[in-house]
Amino acid sequence: MRKRIIYILLIIAPLLCVFASLFIGRYPLSLPLVIKTLWGQIALVNYDIPDMYQTLVWDIRMPRAILGAAVGGCLAVSGASFQGLFRNPLVSSGILGVSSGAGFGAALAIILFHGNTSAVYIFAFAFAMLAVLLSYLIGRVYNTTPTITLVLGGVVVSSIFSALISFAKYVADPYQQLPTIVFWLMGSLATARYHDILMAGIPMGIGIAGLIAIRWRINVLSMGDREAHSLGVNLAVDKGIVIICASLATAGAVCVSGIIGWVGLVIPHICRMIVGNDNRVLIPASLSLGACFLVLVDNVGRIITGSEMPLGILTALIGGPFFVWLLKKTKGGGW
Amino acid sequence: MSVLQVANASFSYERQSEKIFEDISFEVGQGEIFCLLGPNGCGKSTLLDNILGVNHLQQGEIRVMGRDTRTLKAGQIARYIAYVPQSHERTFPYQVIDIVKMGRAAYTGRFSSPSAKDKEIAKEALDLVGLRHLRHRPYTQLSGGEGQLVMIARALAQKTPVIVMDEPTAHLDFKHEMVVMETIVKLVKTTDLTVVMATHFPNHTFYLENNGIKTTVALMHNKHFLEVGNPTKVLNEHNMRTLYNVNTKLMTCPLDTSTVLKQLVPVSTLNGTKEEERNAYVR
Repeated sequence: MRKRIIYILLIIAPLLCVFASLFIGRYPLSLPLVIKTLWGQIALVNYDIPDMYQTLVWDIRMPRAILGAAVGGCLAVSGASFQGLFRNPLVSSGILGVSSGAGFGAALAIILFHGNTSAVYIFAFAFAMLAVLLSYLIGRVYNTTPTITLVLGGVVVSSIFSALISFAKYVADPYQQLPTIVFWLMGSLATARYHDILMAGIPMGIGIAGLIAIRWRINVLSMGDREAHSLGVNLAVDKGIVIICASLATAGAVCVSGIIGWVGLVIPHICRMIVGNDNRVLIPASLSLGACFLVLVDNVGRIITGSEMPLGILTALIGGPFFVWLLKKTKGGGW
Repeated sequence: MSVLQVANASFSYERQSEKIFEDISFEVGQGEIFCLLGPNGCGKSTLLDNILGVNHLQQGEIRVMGRDTRTLKAGQIARYIAYVPQSHERTFPYQVIDIVKMGRAAYTGRFSSPSAKDKEIAKEALDLVGLRHLRHRPYTQLSGGEGQLVMIARALAQKTPVIVMDEPTAHLDFKHEMVVMETIVKLVKTTDLTVVMATHFPNHTFYLENNGIKTTVALMHNKHFLEVGNPTKVLNEHNMRTLYNVNTKLMTCPLDTSTVLKQLVPVSTLNGTKEEERNAYVR
């Protein structure tokens, strides 16, 4: 019974957050107005709503909120999965170089194609996946891929791509390209449109679905290679599925939102404190809480200053104190 | 029929010419315990790894219930052989019952999780080691001895004919060492389990023998078995000197009318150990 309530809450909470974000912004909208706008479009009823509100709710706030939820969920779920796979609570979704790979891809596209949005997405995604592949190949010793060499591979690839990002910044045109690169790296959902959601939604959807499906196996994999093997796990296949799915989800998220730190590390930990460490519950909980968190933080970013505050800054500024509060309240939750 | 057969087994790590062990053969029957004894680094754990299918033999074969382990996938081997690790690194504070349920992985699809039946099996396994009352505790909060019993319960949940244990009493206190040994005896007697274990305690094999379990000891020395047989035959002062370079005394003392306690008590390390070893290498 208690389990069912938790699951219902996990499903409802992100929907509520998305719904709430339709009201918030420079032009606050009233509840009846928002509901009328929504219903008018769904049921094709004409309520005589000004076009501006129509656009605001359906074309600006809605895609932004949905994308925020998807990105937050993806980062948190892949972070939780990687923590389990690598048996290391300090690992985040960017561990195999996805974020820095995506960052370099985006910077490259900004320089080469003067910030053409599609080019930025495609380059960011392609380089993110390339970074994972490189980490995997570096981590491959003999015919197996021990966890620790995989992490080392990720660290090496991350730092190489970080250096390449710096190089891109160094050669970029300082008046137009450089600010674009810097803002991209700080993360934002401001440009979200439906076609972004559709494009990035494919890898994000595949990744999340895969991780949810295989989530109990992540428990077993977290026992370490030798024990997982003797418990009957095909290490190469199961690890491969987790790595590919988590990378797809993260790369899909990062390529449309830029680099948003913190979510992939700390949301899983907040969930560990609330629902425990069993990945059967932890993975769905991370999905839900990650989605809520990013949508809420994005809303805060839209209202506190005249110009929008980049997401990457706010996630840490808001999430940090919240994490400390939770740590004190749950006394670490069994760590 | 023997449950586990190892025939002419040789192994060396990839890209290394020196063999870890060479031409080793033995058989273990149902309800028997096979103990591997030998100094640190003699290859006990590597031999166990080969039985588990973590590593693969270069020559020879390992058969479990008549099937060549080389032809079996991890998921199939795990239905024949379970594993109790020497030291389990506890990372995430899973509940005890969740740890034991992981023993059902070989019977659970890749994209599903254990069923209600698997949960019952896990609870029964916890009953067998007497830890059912701790099932909702985070296993990171258990003592070393309780943790080891949880590992044994997880292996039992695998419902395999064979359990491989790597030094199951390492790092345990005086009492829990005994608790683990008693648990092993009880399990072998009640479930007809076959146990293969590496150990550093010769006296444990006397304990198993005294409790009426057919126990075979193999002394692993210089890549081969120095001697294989029952504890009383194999564990003597001479063999201890060859195996460990330690002078020992075999003490006996009647426990009751039917059993005699036997203990090998170390007296001193052998003088000139280094020199002898050097000579062995030169030869």
